[in-house]
Amino acid sequence: MRIRPKPAWLGLAPSLVVLAVFGLYPFVEVVRFSTWDWSGLSAPRAVGLANYRELLGDPAFWHSLQVTLAFAAITLPSFLVLSLLVAFALEGQPYERWVKGLLFLPGLVTLSAAAVSWYTLLSPEYGALQTLLYALVPEDSPLAAWLVVPAWDREPFWALLLVVAFTLWRYLGYGVLVVSASLKGIPRSLLEAAWVDGATPRQAVRYVTLPLLRPAVTFLLVVGTILTLQSYVAVFLLTRGGPFGGTRVLGYFIYEVGFEQYRLGYAAAATIVLLLLTLGLAYAQARFMEER
Amino acid sequence: MRNLARHAFVALLVFAVALPFLWMAYAAFLPPELVYAGEITRLGFSLENFRALAPEGFWGRLVYSLGVSGLATALALLTGFPAAYALREGAPLLGLYLFLLAVPAEMLLVPLYGVLAGTHLLGSPWALIWPFAASPFVVFLLYQGLRSVPWQVVEAARIDGAGEGVVLVRVLLPMMAGHLVTAGVLSFAAHWNLVLYPRVMTSETWWTLQVWMADLVRKYPSDWGLLSAAALLGTLPLAGVYLLFERKIVETFEGSLKG
Repeated sequence: MRIRPKPAWLGLAPSLVVLAVFGLYPFVEVVRFSTWDWSGLSAPRAVGLANYRELLGDPAFWHSLQVTLAFAAITLPSFLVLSLLVAFALEGQPYERWVKGLLFLPGLVTLSAAAVSWYTLLSPEYGALQTLLYALVPEDSPLAAWLVVPAWDREPFWALLLVVAFTLWRYLGYGVLVVSASLKGIPRSLLEAAWVDGATPRQAVRYVTLPLLRPAVTFLLVVGTILTLQSYVAVFLLTRGGPFGGTRVLGYFIYEVGFEQYRLGYAAAATIVLLLLTLGLAYAQARFMEER
Repeated sequence: MRNLARHAFVALLVFAVALPFLWMAYAAFLPPELVYAGEITRLGFSLENFRALAPEGFWGRLVYSLGVSGLATALALLTGFPAAYALREGAPLLGLYLFLLAVPAEMLLVPLYGVLAGTHLLGSPWALIWPFAASPFVVFLLYQGLRSVPWQVVEAARIDGAGEGVVLVRVLLPMMAGHLVTAGVLSFAAHWNLVLYPRVMTSETWWTLQVWMADLVRKYPSDWGLLSAAALLGTLPLAGVYLLFERKIVETFEGSLKG
């Protein structure tokens, strides 16, 4: 088959020029940089594969890879389950549109502002939420022992959960929209047919609705995986990778190594690892969406 | 009973999602002495926090950030609309755009640093504009919108002698208003919310509101009133634009996910 260009295709030109320079060329550069010993200011020095060798032996890198996987393992399932639950709960309710509008808001508002609010609200011991809880429940009552904001400034596990919660808060609206759009695409006649055949509402959901939502869920899974691999801004704003590196996801590791320790060559090598991880998934995403 | 549980779940969710916003709006008006005394549950009202923002340089950053994000968004729409049109006309590059959609600028911090240094944009506000002058996200959203336009309209216009420019501006532009607004607001928000990118790529003079605010938290970690006032005022422009077009945005976005 011969492709026959049309005059309309010229419209791509400005977009492609920009993307070639700032979207594609960086992929060539990052490979080149990864073979350099380079601080960004001094002249680079070629070191071959030394950066990769060092990366493989760097406990901080392996730890951050672990943290990234743990972060994804907590975030993804909760994101999917919550998106499904909320979309189901909202379906057909009078407040549906209104709540969806609200859920979408956190993803758009000023990121640093949101982080400020979370930080002051949820600080352990002196945070606003803790103060409020102690005002409602006296500090010496037995109930108060259960109403303590976890010390996420000292315990890595809680710090990671905080970042997870912040991420969910930002993207839940998106997930709900995806499920909900697909929910609305299910013809009502299918459900009615199931009811006529004697299915309970629960069975109808289990055997009719859920299988039909599979494309939406797959889509969310892929997009969600990419998002979780890339979300390190929340880490910068809330925990700066700490405590004890407990929230230092791969993206943040790269930022620290490159722009706080000024080892851009080493950071480039780590970027390649992250890119390979992401691109494997992006490829799946592109194939999935082109099939639709 | 089932319905009650459902409403309760939604109510709890709405509360949890809205809580940070409510707290931000409340704390912004707290008198500083109440914050320092830890008595935040005592009612008080003060505009002290907002006054304290000016000497920290808040207003300049706000105007500058609005300008930079606005310009980047305008350029992204300007390059994105004809590109989406070309894709709709069968240009075989959709895969490329989907690929780039998955790799945002914050992922390419290290190589972009090198590219910007090479093009002498590093350190200047242009580093915040040129790399965002074309956005795969905008192209993709507009392309999805164009797919729902009946193409006979375009063919009819061509038979009447309309050139590509006329088709794009006179025929398609009015039909795509909803998608253009949605793409505009969402890509403005994405640019507005960059934190580490502007921090690394520009000098301190050209830091955006986001970077400035993240820095303010480091400077005054316990001055919640001041921080909340900055957060509230920094959120309002975007929240306002969103609320203005909320119906259009949610509908368009949902529609393009279906397609």
